[in-house]
Amino acid sequence: MSIVQLHHIRKVYDTKVAVEDLSFTIEPGTMFGLLGPNGSGKTSSIRMMIGITVPDSGSVSLFDRPFTRSVLGRVGYLPEERGLYKKMNVLDQLTFLGQLHGLTAAVASRRATLWCDRLDIAEAIPKKTEDLSKGMQQKIQFIAALLHDPDLILMDEPFSGLDPVNAFLLMSTLVDLCSTGKAVIFSTHRMDQVEKFCNSIALIHRGHLILSGSMREIKSGYPRNRVLIHFEGDDAFLQHPCIEGLTRYNGHAEIRLRPSPTLADDAQSLLTQAIRHARVTRFEVMEPTLEEIFIEKVQQTLPIKNGKLSMAQLEKTDGGDVDA
Amino acid sequence: MHNVWLIARREYVERIRTRGFLITTVMIPLIMGGLIFGSAFISSKSVSTAHIAVVSSDTQLALDLQSELQPKQGTPGSQPPPARRPRFTVDAMDIDPHDAQATRALLNQQLDSGDLDGYLWITPAASPSRRPTFTFTARSSEQDSLQSTLAAALGTVLMREQLTHRGIVATDADAMLQPVDIRSASLPVRQDHESAEIGVFILFFLMYMVIMLYGMNVARSIIEEKSSRIFEVMLATIRPEEMMAGKILGVGSVGITQVCIWLSAALLLSAGSGAAHLGGQGIHVALTAAQIVFFFVYFILGYAFYSSIAAGLGAMTNSEQELQQLNLFLFLPLIVCFATLMNVLTYPDSTMARVLALIPPFTPLLMYLRVSLGRPTHWEIFASIALTSASIYAIVWVTSRIYRVGVLMYGKRPNLPELLRWLKYS
Repeated sequence: MSIVQLHHIRKVYDTKVAVEDLSFTIEPGTMFGLLGPNGSGKTSSIRMMIGITVPDSGSVSLFDRPFTRSVLGRVGYLPEERGLYKKMNVLDQLTFLGQLHGLTAAVASRRATLWCDRLDIAEAIPKKTEDLSKGMQQKIQFIAALLHDPDLILMDEPFSGLDPVNAFLLMSTLVDLCSTGKAVIFSTHRMDQVEKFCNSIALIHRGHLILSGSMREIKSGYPRNRVLIHFEGDDAFLQHPCIEGLTRYNGHAEIRLRPSPTLADDAQSLLTQAIRHARVTRFEVMEPTLEEIFIEKVQQTLPIKNGKLSMAQLEKTDGGDVDA
Repeated sequence: MHNVWLIARREYVERIRTRGFLITTVMIPLIMGGLIFGSAFISSKSVSTAHIAVVSSDTQLALDLQSELQPKQGTPGSQPPPARRPRFTVDAMDIDPHDAQATRALLNQQLDSGDLDGYLWITPAASPSRRPTFTFTARSSEQDSLQSTLAAALGTVLMREQLTHRGIVATDADAMLQPVDIRSASLPVRQDHESAEIGVFILFFLMYMVIMLYGMNVARSIIEEKSSRIFEVMLATIRPEEMMAGKILGVGSVGITQVCIWLSAALLLSAGSGAAHLGGQGIHVALTAAQIVFFFVYFILGYAFYSSIAAGLGAMTNSEQELQQLNLFLFLPLIVCFATLMNVLTYPDSTMARVLALIPPFTPLLMYLRVSLGRPTHWEIFASIALTSASIYAIVWVTSRIYRVGVLMYGKRPNLPELLRWLKYS
């Protein structure tokens, strides 16, 4: 069974195409990263998954059935922009949101207290939301999305503005939930977060799906052609024929291997060579980072004049029109 | 339905708890009471007494006029002056034949200093068959109200003089000149017309204020929720229509609660003190149960009408400033009601009142006035409720669509073609 299935969905706002022909499937127990620069259509896609907006064409299925509002009780959503009633106290607020998800007041308030303990914000319970720090508000919002024990958890930029300790706390909470069979989707433009935690991703750019699949599959589709080596002694092994390019530093070198079908063996032979001549303290065949893959993919679809493209540039060319 | 109830309850509980609610609950009756007492006080001050001087070489005429304007207290048969007629204090003065100028200067001086509200100068006629000439000088602000009373009194005095001249006994002349008293005889309910008018007027004003206040509250709280982005969380669970309905119901219930508090406080006060007398003028508030029931019927219709419009306005704007630019749509009909208020109050069954009261934006306020003071037919009452309900339905249909799209639109305010396109989105 699949938890989310998007089938060629498309959404146009006036003249701006927000999402174009987007399809992917998410299985239970998946930590799914939805990646892309600002304004690439992440929020629009997430909104269509839970019926806040309706796609112009294509279809959305949740829990193996075409989308109906009745499944929303099984979905937890953390929006990109935090939304809480400022004047309400935390417990009332969480109880109210829990009730909207179909819990009774008693259950909702009991769970809210448990969650606040778990996320280390028990002291915030009697306070008004507006008196809390931004990070605490974010945790409240996070709890609000999880209170009704949803099977599908959608988090739009859940870690923006959080310090590393709290970001890690929330992330490991999500990982725990994921291991109990729930599907977690989160969107981010921070590729490094995704690399650590996600087992499946979709990369979108300007509304188009550029890349999707399990992290393993995607990475294995890209050659592991970079080698980092720390060594002491003779550097004659750097003349090895499989080396296409190299940057030398004091005590270590970054090597790019020549593309070949036997790339993995080449690396092994390079290591053998190195051990013969020098004392190797570190040898790593590096896989390309998601960021590099993303940039490469975007460059294929979109010719860039000055040749080099950074994430910053990608974001800049899109403008900041996130909400459209 | 459960969600609507949850939203409405949250809205209600959170609002009732605020200090703002307490303050408006206490302040609005105080302000309104102040206004009503104040204006009653001022009007009683301005019409009830007038000090004038009558200058005449014909002393008898001056004295007659004096007794006509100043009815002796306790004289059997003498009518108390009608409530709205000024009470006169009249000084009869002889003309100093040698120095008319000096008298005039003295009077003008008294006029300036405010001791005198006006003086009547009677110049004897050239021949006995002619009437003397009357010149009335008054402080400009008093002129109109005094002059008509004076003219009537003079007419009576001169007529009595003529009658006496022709040999008619004074008592007969008095009887002939007795002003005709037309008793207003209408339906028993409306006997106390004047006090009913005041009660109805207070409720009209209350309705106007509460509709405006709470209509704006709906718009404002939508904008607030829009800018705090709470909508995103809510819309992931419930429908925009449910949110809008819950909000309108919740805020409206607060308004009704407030009105109920005011009404029961007013009833308790008037029952407790034995009489609901306001001021010394014998003005008192009399309301029938039917008037109160209709008040709530039309209040709820009016609130639903205007708050749904306000919800739409709130959904398409992003800030209070933007809302203020669109407020006109909300206030204009209410202001029209206010502008026609006096007319409808005086002639509740005129053609204009009947037509206006059937036009939905005006119905709640004006039909309420007509039901309370006029005699609308059952058919008219039914039509007014039906028409307003139908237009509320239409407005809710339109605004819920605007709402659905608008609450997720940030940035610039939509123009008309965009709005029309929103209606087509589903």
